[in-house]
Amino acid sequence: MKRAWIVFKKEWLDVLRDRRTILMMVVIPLLIFPALMNLAARLTISQRQKAETRPLRLALIRADAAPELMRLLQGHGDLKLDPRVTTAAEAGARLRAGTLDFVLIPDADFAERVAAKGSGGLVLMYKSSEEIRIAKKRITDVVAVFEKTLVDNRLKGLGLEPGVVQAVAVREQDVATVKQRLGEAIGGFLPYIFVIFCFIGAMYPAIDLAAGEKERGTIETLLASPAGRGEIVLGKFAVVTLTGLASAAVSMVGLYLSIKLSRDIPGALLDAVFRIIEWKTILLVFSLLLPLAACFAALLLAVSIFARTFKEAQSIMTPLNFLVIFPVFIGLFPGITLDPLTAAVPVLNVSLATREIIAGTAAPLLLAETYLSLFAVAALSLWFCSRQFNREEIIFR
Amino acid sequence: MIEVEGIAKKFKLSRKQLREMEKRPSQPFVWAVDGVSFVCRPGRIFTLLGPNGAGKTTTLRLLATMLKPERGRIHVAGYDTVTEAEMVRRRIGFLTGSTGLYARLSPAELVRYYADLHGMDRGEFQKRRDDLFALLGIDEFAHRRIATLSSGMKQKVSIARTMIHDPEVVIFDEPTVGLDVVTARHIIQLIRSCRDQGKTVIFSTHIMGEVALLSDDLAVIHRGRLVHSGPFDSFRLQMKSRSLEDEFIRLVGEA
Repeated sequence: MKRAWIVFKKEWLDVLRDRRTILMMVVIPLLIFPALMNLAARLTISQRQKAETRPLRLALIRADAAPELMRLLQGHGDLKLDPRVTTAAEAGARLRAGTLDFVLIPDADFAERVAAKGSGGLVLMYKSSEEIRIAKKRITDVVAVFEKTLVDNRLKGLGLEPGVVQAVAVREQDVATVKQRLGEAIGGFLPYIFVIFCFIGAMYPAIDLAAGEKERGTIETLLASPAGRGEIVLGKFAVVTLTGLASAAVSMVGLYLSIKLSRDIPGALLDAVFRIIEWKTILLVFSLLLPLAACFAALLLAVSIFARTFKEAQSIMTPLNFLVIFPVFIGLFPGITLDPLTAAVPVLNVSLATREIIAGTAAPLLLAETYLSLFAVAALSLWFCSRQFNREEIIFR
Repeated sequence: MIEVEGIAKKFKLSRKQLREMEKRPSQPFVWAVDGVSFVCRPGRIFTLLGPNGAGKTTTLRLLATMLKPERGRIHVAGYDTVTEAEMVRRRIGFLTGSTGLYARLSPAELVRYYADLHGMDRGEFQKRRDDLFALLGIDEFAHRRIATLSSGMKQKVSIARTMIHDPEVVIFDEPTVGLDVVTARHIIQLIRSCRDQGKTVIFSTHIMGEVALLSDDLAVIHRGRLVHSGPFDSFRLQMKSRSLEDEFIRLVGEA
């Protein structure tokens, strides 16, 4: 065990001096979230503001069929009516070319049908996009006001109050606590981040500590030293596990900082989030990460020692990323919850258990099954890794 | 002392290797070393001479406990390489021409790492390190990263790493391959000084000049089998060819 500690100390020092590992373990996880969130927030806000405030270019074809609607539209200062468009074909072409945002076409008998207390047909044409989806509400709101005026007048004509058409008034009451709603909202997203960073953070040191050792020609001198294979594996495994954990932790710090420093999230919501995320929650989530990082470390080291070179190890490991992401992705599907079956599936169980821990609804027995499954797989992976290191045909491949 | 008794080691052939072979063997493996026996004595240099792929590296890896023999027994410094592997590794120094170093460590850190693995205490380590660093002229670059050193400096660091625990048996696997003349000379001097200190020295090579320069005892290996083993002086006397190189080709050709 003493030699495993010596190997660990040396490898940890070596890893901390490797720029590539530091980049993957600290710099990217720490900066990616503040950078991405800032960029995404700015883009979303500017897109939304643009869609909500800019004057919309609108055409009303066959305006004489709906004169009152025409007057209402003309009264809106943020709608620019284009009188030059006269046919549906022309309107379609202008929408596709992006020189118009919306076109309204009332049916030829619109006015007669409305006057006869029937339904007037109205076509709303647009070319869909995220901005138009937001802007569309401004047009449908105007049409809704027009329709409400007509309906109210009709009810008055019948001597009825407008409220008479609303036979049932639904008052929604959500009994889920803020914590539970938060668990639903971010509980699925968080594991997606830390599982991926845990894997990526462990990947480069694993390559360097096994395939890199072979490529540099240092493996022979290490094997000729008094350190046993088990001690060498244990020392390297501990370093790779630690880098995976550190990378996941740093990614969480990055996420925390990006939320904390964001000027776009309301202060009251931030306070609520930070009140809910307690130390107990954080520690529980990290306790799930420890066996997961150990699984990743052992598997990555086993793959790495099989490879002849750094490059070969990289090419084998890259597809493994998808194998890791897939179970996390499954955990995001609606209806997939932590049950005796899913609690036994590594990675998926971490994803689902994290959601339950944040929501405060984790069942102790299912959590115990999750730990059991993760520790069993970690032990199995370490045994496999150790076996690989003991196989002459692998070491001297 | 190294005692090797009838060792054999086979390697499984990969599908690719099998495909590339002109004549498909009856079994999917090859004997890299077969029935090899020899003795290396303290204070003498034992040379293992053979062409590429003869089984030299496999033999030395078997001595260093990196590989386990299928048959036969090896005793290094009195310990069995299979059942007492750690005791063997404590007593050997291992150096190859292709030995790499940890580029992100300094020579001081690297040598300390191997000393720790050998369980050296602080005082013993300090003295040995100071002596070796002074002898090899490492002091002036002892704290620079190895990545920034020249190949000559790196080879000196390799020597210090091999010798830090003062091993009683030293194994050199083609130690001068790829080195320039000046650096190769350092290695030759090291091999001689090991012998002069009474250590057991075994080194493998395919360079005839080194054989003539260093050997006390010589074994010629070809296709995994020894075709000659004995004192170098008597080998010279019994030579049927004019030069060492011709005699080697004759021996290998006959085998």
